[in-house]
Amino acid sequence: MVEKTQVRISAVHVALGLGFLLVWGRSAQLQVVRGDKYTESARAQRTERIELPASRGGIYDRNGVPLALTEENFHLGIAPNEISDTSNGRSQADIDEDIRRLAENLGLELAGLRSRLALPQYAYFHGPFKTIQVQPIREIPGVHPEGELSRFYPDPDLARVLLGRSPFGGNPASGVERMLDSILTGVPGSAVVLRDQRGRRFQSPGRLDAFPSPGMDVFLTIDAELQEIVEAALVEAVAEYEAIGGDVVVMNPHTGEILALASTDSAGTPGLTALTHPYEPGSTAKLFAAAALLEHGLVSLTDSVWGEEGTYEFGGRTVSDVHEVEWATLADVIENSSNIGIIKFTRKLEANQQYQMLRNFGFGTPTGLEFPSESRGILRLPREWSGFSSASIAMGYEFSATPLQIASAYSAIANDGLLLRPTLIKTIRTAGGEVTWTHAPEPVRQAVSSETAEILRQMLRGVVYRGSPAALASYEVAGKTGTTRRVGEDGSYVTGAYNASFASLFPADDPQIVMVVKMTDPTGTYGGQTAAPVTRSVLERVLAAQTSTLDRTSLSRNGDTVRPRGLLESGQPPDVVNLPLIAVETEKVMRVIPDLVGQSMREAAAHLHGMGFAVRLEGWGLVVFTVPAVGDSLMQGESVVLHAETGE
Amino acid sequence: MTRRRRPPGPVAWESRLLGLVTVGLVVFGVAAVYSSSSIQAVEQGLPGAWFALRQLQGAIVGLFLLLVAIRVDYQVWKAFAWPAVAIAFFALLIPLLPFTHDIAPVTNGARRWIDIGVGRIQPSEGAKFALIAWTAMLAAKKGAQVREFKLGVVPFMVIILPACLMIAIEPDLSTALLTMLVCMIVLFSAGAKIGHFMVLGVLALPLVWGQIAALQFRVNRMVAFLSPGEDPLSLSWQINQSIVGVGSGGVFGVGFGEGMQKLGYLPYAYSDFIFSTIGEEWGFVGVTVILVLYAGYLSLGMRIARRAGDVFGTLLTVGLTSLVGVTAILHMSVTLALVPTTGLPLPFISFGRSNLVIALFATGVIMNIGNQVGTGKRR
Repeated sequence: MVEKTQVRISAVHVALGLGFLLVWGRSAQLQVVRGDKYTESARAQRTERIELPASRGGIYDRNGVPLALTEENFHLGIAPNEISDTSNGRSQADIDEDIRRLAENLGLELAGLRSRLALPQYAYFHGPFKTIQVQPIREIPGVHPEGELSRFYPDPDLARVLLGRSPFGGNPASGVERMLDSILTGVPGSAVVLRDQRGRRFQSPGRLDAFPSPGMDVFLTIDAELQEIVEAALVEAVAEYEAIGGDVVVMNPHTGEILALASTDSAGTPGLTALTHPYEPGSTAKLFAAAALLEHGLVSLTDSVWGEEGTYEFGGRTVSDVHEVEWATLADVIENSSNIGIIKFTRKLEANQQYQMLRNFGFGTPTGLEFPSESRGILRLPREWSGFSSASIAMGYEFSATPLQIASAYSAIANDGLLLRPTLIKTIRTAGGEVTWTHAPEPVRQAVSSETAEILRQMLRGVVYRGSPAALASYEVAGKTGTTRRVGEDGSYVTGAYNASFASLFPADDPQIVMVVKMTDPTGTYGGQTAAPVTRSVLERVLAAQTSTLDRTSLSRNGDTVRPRGLLESGQPPDVVNLPLIAVETEKVMRVIPDLVGQSMREAAAHLHGMGFAVRLEGWGLVVFTVPAVGDSLMQGESVVLHAETGE
Repeated sequence: MTRRRRPPGPVAWESRLLGLVTVGLVVFGVAAVYSSSSIQAVEQGLPGAWFALRQLQGAIVGLFLLLVAIRVDYQVWKAFAWPAVAIAFFALLIPLLPFTHDIAPVTNGARRWIDIGVGRIQPSEGAKFALIAWTAMLAAKKGAQVREFKLGVVPFMVIILPACLMIAIEPDLSTALLTMLVCMIVLFSAGAKIGHFMVLGVLALPLVWGQIAALQFRVNRMVAFLSPGEDPLSLSWQINQSIVGVGSGGVFGVGFGEGMQKLGYLPYAYSDFIFSTIGEEWGFVGVTVILVLYAGYLSLGMRIARRAGDVFGTLLTVGLTSLVGVTAILHMSVTLALVPTTGLPLPFISFGRSNLVIALFATGVIMNIGNQVGTGKRR
């Protein structure tokens, strides 16, 4: 029995010993032999690659004025147990002080914050709070800021539709933000962080794999100051003439750069109607018929046609001129905007030649501007034309174009006949400032010869310098008005509704800018009545402002050859309507700075521009003070600095 | 049966060493519990050392009982065997009664604990000791009679089977089977015929089979309830995480407290899977040290058993030593995926105060037996 027990105990001992040996062997197999493999799989399952968002590039105007920026905002989590923890040697007074600082910096009510922090739960404040608010309170125990990138528009209304909106926050992007999204977005970085089985991440240890590489900064061709002037002038004009809406396109004809682009629409049509809504250009298109006649050598400058005393039967229709011409050359026809004259001249033109010339100027195709939506307008093939089409098209009917297309075509005339692709992007730089792309003029085609372009410019000069509401005191504007009946939503003409437009070159003898102004359904019928004054008001303000858009050296050189403003004569062109001109001071005088405090920066700037001052803006929002102060006198042409509430 | 009592005197080297090994395991255990539980503790809003401090409480109480047990002549347990079994039955019955939910609530789908006001105790832990002591007592009393079937083995089953059945329907099937197995080891050591165990095994199979099926059903349902999604509590997932943990420890381990599997990947990292945490943090070196300690405990226990003053001492020591050894082997085998997953603690190390207190107390009893080696007349 005893021996048996001894044997059996030994058996149990050996069996259990073997059990331990088995466990030991298995551990050796798992840990020593296959250890590396398991180490790898353990790491794989407990780490996670996270994306570090890249800062979206900024959008600036041509001079570096920020239009859209990315800023980091913060949400804030506060752990009540951490902030009120006294075990780290902090006294109750320290804690009270911290809570007071929190309330102060975050703009929260102190009592509310205090009672919130008395609760045990983690307090979350969505904010968003700015860096400047969060920075001073970062080190307070229990304060956990969560950064989030967001888009910030220093002046939210400036070029709003043009800039569009970024895809931050999951909204659909629009405008330039959408068009250049891939450039602005940047490359997100990545980091490997530890996470637990529930997917929660631990801040450390983490490993940075790749720094996020911020998106590129885009410098638009837009001039913020000019844009602001244009927008203000447009809004004023739409209100003044009770128009449905209006468009302004300002271009540099020698580069194709869009300097300002604004559309306003009281009907609330979204988007930039200057790009998306074609209209029948009317008389502004007569120049293109003239271009074709000249280019094909079909008309000499001395050829003239009989004006039919204002009424002409053609193709079964009666065409009339608002103002009769007698024997008129092509220049007379353009200058007087004679429908009869242009029809008679155009009879020499083959449909194909006429069509081809419009194609040359870019009609019927999108201009290729960097914007998500653009209309190509309507230009039918000659074989689809009816017997009257050629005449209609010569008068600017039966085809439609966007204000941008008109501006682009007029730019070609200003640019010695060379049509350039319009652009919104001037330069693209890396976040480090390195220029990666710079716009160079992109010729589309030689629309007309430079000789023809020169003749066309001369014809345009005749229009304005003979006297029109667009004329300026110091500098000559060359341009053409256009008035057409407006086509409504259903495609037919709306009774008594018109589109008034004015396409101009400034200064006339060596154009630096081309401006197209279109007013939709203004109460004054004729384009010269409504669109031309807008042009003049914009130009006046541009000249008053210290914008770099205009080459002043060149302007002053031209100043020697300034022509006297044409007097209104009996031979006044029918679509140029005489408005009493505001006396433009040629002599600079001292003026008193008005009280602009409390006005919006835009209103204040427009007011000062109108008074002949140059304006510089500091900050945005409402005007707080001006330098020099309100009531001080200043010489016209000098700068007034407007300081707003949100300064830098 | 003659016996001589020796007052608590100089401690035999086997007992001394056994005590050292035990203290080593307990110290290691408190550290391992701290390392593997602190993150979960903090997650539950408890202090990081919550589990470790409770384990330390258990260690202090257990060491006190160990010191008491060293000084109490183990013959007391022979006399106390019947009352102990009676108390065990009573305690095991409490969680099974329908009207005792107040003191024995359902926890993790089972009723294994009784709330006694100052804390919870697990009746099955005490029952293990009581049944082993009782089996050793009866086997020593029956002497050569254990070789018979009807008068030898069957009477043991009259007590052991119902007790294990009660444990099984808590449900705690693994503890029930473990207790049964250790009692069988005691009987085997006492000289029972191997053939009888086979018969008993075959007879017990249908009983156990039904329990396994019922348990499986419960487990599946609980798993589905707790994790409708990806099923991180599924048994194969646990086992896989356990192996990944042990394996990633490599030769030298990732370092104390540096283990990552406890970040929610490994369930019960501080109890049923603590050996995995040890393997991860201490590596093959640490595993070897632990195994050496257990092997030392086993060898010292078996040495004391062989030299015990009487058969009761021998069988009690075999039973208590086997309890530690078998539990440890099963726990480690589970974490290494050598056997299917069961919820057994690693003696002296896993979090669980009832288990620790009983294990330390049992060690004290063995040490007392060890101290009386050579003092009793061999039978």
